[in-house]
This record gives sequence, C-alpha cells and structure tokens, in this order.
Amino acid sequence: MIETPHNSAFMVAAYIVTAVILVGYAFVLARRARGRSR
Amino acid sequence: MTQAPRGRWTTAVALLLLAGVYVRALAFTPTEIAQGPAQKIFYLHVPAAWSAMLSMALVGLGGILFLFLKDERYDRFAAASAEVGTVFSLVMLTTGPLWAKPIWGTWWTWDARLTLTLMMFFLFIGYQLLRGAVADPGLRARYSAVVGICGLVLLPFIHLSVYLFRTLHPRPIVLKPSAPSLPPEMLITLLVSFAVFTLLYIGFVVQRYAIGESR
Amino acid sequence: MSDLLRHAWLVARKDLQVEVRSRTAFTLALVFTALVLVVFEYGRDPTAVPTLDLAPSILWVTFSFAAVLALNRAFQAELENDALEGLLLAPISRHSLFWGKLAANLAFVALVQVIGLVLFVLFFNVPVWRVLGPLGATMALASLGFIAVGTLFSAMVVRTRFAELMLPVLLLPFLLPPLIAAVTITTQLLGGRPLSEVGGWLRLLAAYDLTFVTLATLLFPATVTE
Repeated sequence: MIETPHNSAFMVAAYIVTAVILVGYAFVLARRARGRSR
Repeated sequence: MTQAPRGRWTTAVALLLLAGVYVRALAFTPTEIAQGPAQKIFYLHVPAAWSAMLSMALVGLGGILFLFLKDERYDRFAAASAEVGTVFSLVMLTTGPLWAKPIWGTWWTWDARLTLTLMMFFLFIGYQLLRGAVADPGLRARYSAVVGICGLVLLPFIHLSVYLFRTLHPRPIVLKPSAPSLPPEMLITLLVSFAVFTLLYIGFVVQRYAIGESR
Repeated sequence: MSDLLRHAWLVARKDLQVEVRSRTAFTLALVFTALVLVVFEYGRDPTAVPTLDLAPSILWVTFSFAAVLALNRAFQAELENDALEGLLLAPISRHSLFWGKLAANLAFVALVQVIGLVLFVLFFNVPVWRVLGPLGATMALASLGFIAVGTLFSAMVVRTRFAELMLPVLLLPFLLPPLIAAVTITTQLLGGRPLSEVGGWLRLLAAYDLTFVTLATLLFPATVTE
C-alpha cells in the first residue's frame, strides 16, 4: 500500500505565489493604464 | 482608449475563471496517490509554461512582421508580449522548484525543461533591458526584432542540447513525475487551465499593448 | 560574390591590424586564461579530483570568456573615433562588413584558444595530442555560431547605455547549446571514448552554426540601417 506523501505545504505555497504574481500583475497594468489617461 | 478597458475585462474574466480552476484543482480533482498533493502544482506550472512559450513565439513573430512590414504596431505588440512572457516565466520559475523539491528531492535540476525555462526568462529580461537602453523608437524596434527573432530560433536548440545531455546523464528521481496517461478528471482540469492561461495571456497583452511605450 | 569576400577580407584585416597594434584585448584574454588555470590548479585537491574531470570545464570557461572579450571590443574602436559612420558610408555591402567583423572576431578567438590550449596542456599535463584533430574541430564549431550571434549583438549594443553589461546578458542563453555540446565532446574525447559517440553532438554544433551564421548575416543590415 503506497503511502501518499504529506507535501501539501508546497502545493499551497505554489498556488498562493501564482495567484499573487498574476493578480498583482493585473493590478499593476490597470494602474498604469489609469496613470496614462489622466 | 477602448482597448485598455477591453483588456481589463478579459483579464478580470480570466482571473475569475482561474479561481474556478483553483477550486476544481484543489477540491474536485483527485490527488495522485504516489506523488501527493504537490502534484497539483502541475495544473498551474504546465499552462504557465505554455503561456510563456506562446509569449516568446509571438515576440519573435512580431519582430519578423515588423522587419518585413515596417509597421510599428507589430513592435508594440512584441514589447507587450515580452513583458507578459516575463510574468508567466516568473510563475514557471517559482512553481517549478516548488514542484521539484517534493517530487525530485531537489529545488533545481539542470534538466531540459527547467533549463529552458531559465534561459527563456533571461531572454525576456535581456530583451526588455535592451529596449530600456535604446532611446530612439525606430532603432529600438529594429534591435528588439533582431533579438526576438534570434531568441525564438534559439529555443529548440536549447531544448535539444539539454535533452541530449540529460539522456546521457540520467538523474535519480525520488518519485516518478506524472505518468503519460492522465485519468479524465485530471486531464479536464489541465485542459481547462490551459484555456484559462491562454485567455489570461490575451487579456494581459491587450492591456499592455494599450499602455504602449512608457518612455 | 568575389566583391563580398574581398571587402570582407579588407574589413577583417583592418580590425586585426588595429588589434595587433593595441594588443589590449588579447593581453587581457591571455591573463585571464592563465588566472583560470592557476585558480583551478590550486583550488582542487589533486587526490580527490582528477584533472581529467575538471579539464573540459576549465578549458571552456576560458574560451567563453575570450569570446565575450573579443566581442566586446568588436565595435569599440569604431565607436570611439566615430569611425562607424565612415565604415557604413564605404562602398561595401552590409554583408561584407558583417563577414569581415565575424572573420576578425573568429581569428582573435582562435588565437586565444590555441594559446589557451597550449598553456592548458603544459600546466595540466592532459593527453591532448591523440585527439587534437577532433578537439580542434570542436573548438572551431563551438565558437562559430556563438561568435556570429555575438558579432550581430555587439553591433547593436555598442550604441546603447550599459553596453558592457548588456552584451553578456543578451548572449548568455546563446552560449548554452554550444557550451554543453563542447564540454560533452571534450569530456568524451579526453576520456578516450570512440569518435562515433560524439557524432551526434558535432552534428548539433554544425546545425547551430549553420542556422545562426545565416540568421545573423540576414539580420545584420537591420542593425546598421538608418
């Protein structure tokens, strides 16, 4: 019987980091656009 | 400036769908028995890689079109694609080691995929550094096209050389990475994620294109 | 065609004459080569790490640096004296200019590599004589494609800010395939492996060279057109 490894910490970290990067970039883009149209 | 709002909406929708992917991957997709929960990083890492490659391909293509057709919009598009590609590369470079450590036992390994990732990241960075260092728009566009095209042509060589090297020097792995055939629930999650990341690419590029050159 | 070659030769000769007179880059490359050899010699435990293991790495670190150095000075002289404009006005095609520059860079790199190899053999006592032919071919093939891209990039970079920083950053990804191939081949050759085993790698190098020399030749005019 294979013992499933307990490595969900890595999964959580990866999912959080990805979200931060992608959402963060979306915000950066939105702010830069607003800055130009002012 | 009707492009930027359209881009923002696309990105917003894509991010919402990404949240859906998160839910599906974390709660509704079975955990791989041998690899554990960390395997689920796969549903983010691989589509991010796809988006990064797509970005690079379009940077190169934009460069070719610019040199032939002399339309500066192609250069503007290439610049946007390069910046977006850097972001996706960053996702790859962070999720990659986070996946590698539990599965392979080491944060980094110079295998074909990861080395290619790193080189792509350097190419994106180099491309943008070059753009930042050239003031004249015409010159900048031409230089960028040259680097972009060379970068694109380089990718298959990097992959080939690292792949050939690694097949001669196989690395011991702690757990075997995902088997070639995925059960349907996993495959669907992966495919949906691919679609969402592609949509995200489109949204980002449209937004970035609308912003144009900030100098 | 003969005009192309003749003009290229003129450009190459001019570059080499300039280099012979100033000798700065060349001296730097040699000093660095000697430095690397000394560091590696004293930095290892001879009983733990046989020279043969380190040999390919040492050799190719040196060669890579020599290549980048050559490229850095490729357009430097022109830029300093605003001679680049004059060169572009000369009645020679852009392709001649590129091939001339490429030839000069290759000659420079070849010379440094040969001397580096001699020093290497002297200091490390590695059996190179038997595989001199294939090793020489490897050195030539590994350098060609990379120098072609480097010549192309140095033409662009020389007019930008932070030129000396920009060139290595841009070139690093392009160094990887020839470097991997070259180190692997050198390891096999020095380890006494049969030539047939390195055939695949040599073909990869040849394909890389063909691709990038062609691409660089085609793209060079775009970098100097006004």
